Amino acid sequence: MAEENTIALEFPSSYQWLNMIDLVCGEVTAGMGFSNNALNEISISVIEACTNALEHGNKCCLDCNVRAVFRRLPDRVVIEVADCGQGFEFEDYLRHIPDPSDIEKKRGRGIYIMMAMMDALAYERMPEGGMKIILEKMIDGDGQRDE
Amino acid sequence: MKYRIREVGNLTLIDISGKLMGGCDADVFRDLIHELLERGRRQVIVNLGEVSWVNSTGVGILITGYTTLRKNNGDLKLLNVSNKIRSVLYVTKLNLIFECFDDEREAIGSFMG
Repeated sequence: MAEENTIALEFPSSYQWLNMIDLVCGEVTAGMGFSNNALNEISISVIEACTNALEHGNKCCLDCNVRAVFRRLPDRVVIEVADCGQGFEFEDYLRHIPDPSDIEKKRGRGIYIMMAMMDALAYERMPEGGMKIILEKMIDGDGQRDE
Repeated sequence: MKYRIREVGNLTLIDISGKLMGGCDADVFRDLIHELLERGRRQVIVNLGEVSWVNSTGVGILITGYTTLRKNNGDLKLLNVSNKIRSVLYVTKLNLIFECFDDEREAIGSFMG
C-alpha cells in the first residue's frame, strides 16, 4: 500500500476538532468515485467514530488524544479511529442493540448509525491500551473520480 | 452552536447555526427550553437551515428538547433539515418522531391546525 494514500492525524479530546476531521475526511474521499450520498454517510460515520472516541473512550480528557487514519484504496476507503480508553465489549453491544428510535434514551445511537451507513465496521483492542474502530466504505462508482 | 430566537404569536422559532454536537451545546439548549417553558412558551420550531451537521449527541440534544416540551403539553418540530441530518434521522427512525418541514409558513401552520 502506497503511503502517499494514507493520512494520519491526532487531536485532543475536544468537540472543537470534529469539524477539522470532517474537512479532512471530505478531502480524502473527494474524487474517489463515491456518490454524494455515500460521501455524506462516510462523513457522518467518521464524526460518530470520533465523537465516541473522545466522549466515551477518552471521557473528554484533553490529555488524551484521538488518532484518525484515512486510507484511500482503489476500491474503498478505510478509516481507523483510536482512543486511549478502557474500551467495551462490541459482542455485548451486538447481542443487545438498542432501539435508536427510543426517545427515552439520549445516547447510544452512534454505533447503530455507523453500522447502517458503512459497509464494514470492526472494533479492536490495541495492545498498548485503548480501542480502535475500523470503518470501510466501498466505492459505489456513482461519483466523480480523479484521473 | 449559535442561536437566535424569534416569536410568532405563541410559537417560538429557534434558528440554530453552526454544529450541534454536544459539550456545552447540550446545556445551552436545555437551559433555553426550560427558559421558554418558564415563560409559558411550549410550541417550538427548531430551524436547522444553518446547521452544517449534527452528530448522535446533537440528536440526543434535540430529543431532550422534544421530550421536555411534550411532557409539558408542548411540541418541538424541525425546519429546514439538510439531507445529511435527514439521513441520520431516517437511519435512527427518528423521522417518525420529529415532524420536519421545508417551509416556515407550513411549519407554523402545522401548530394552528
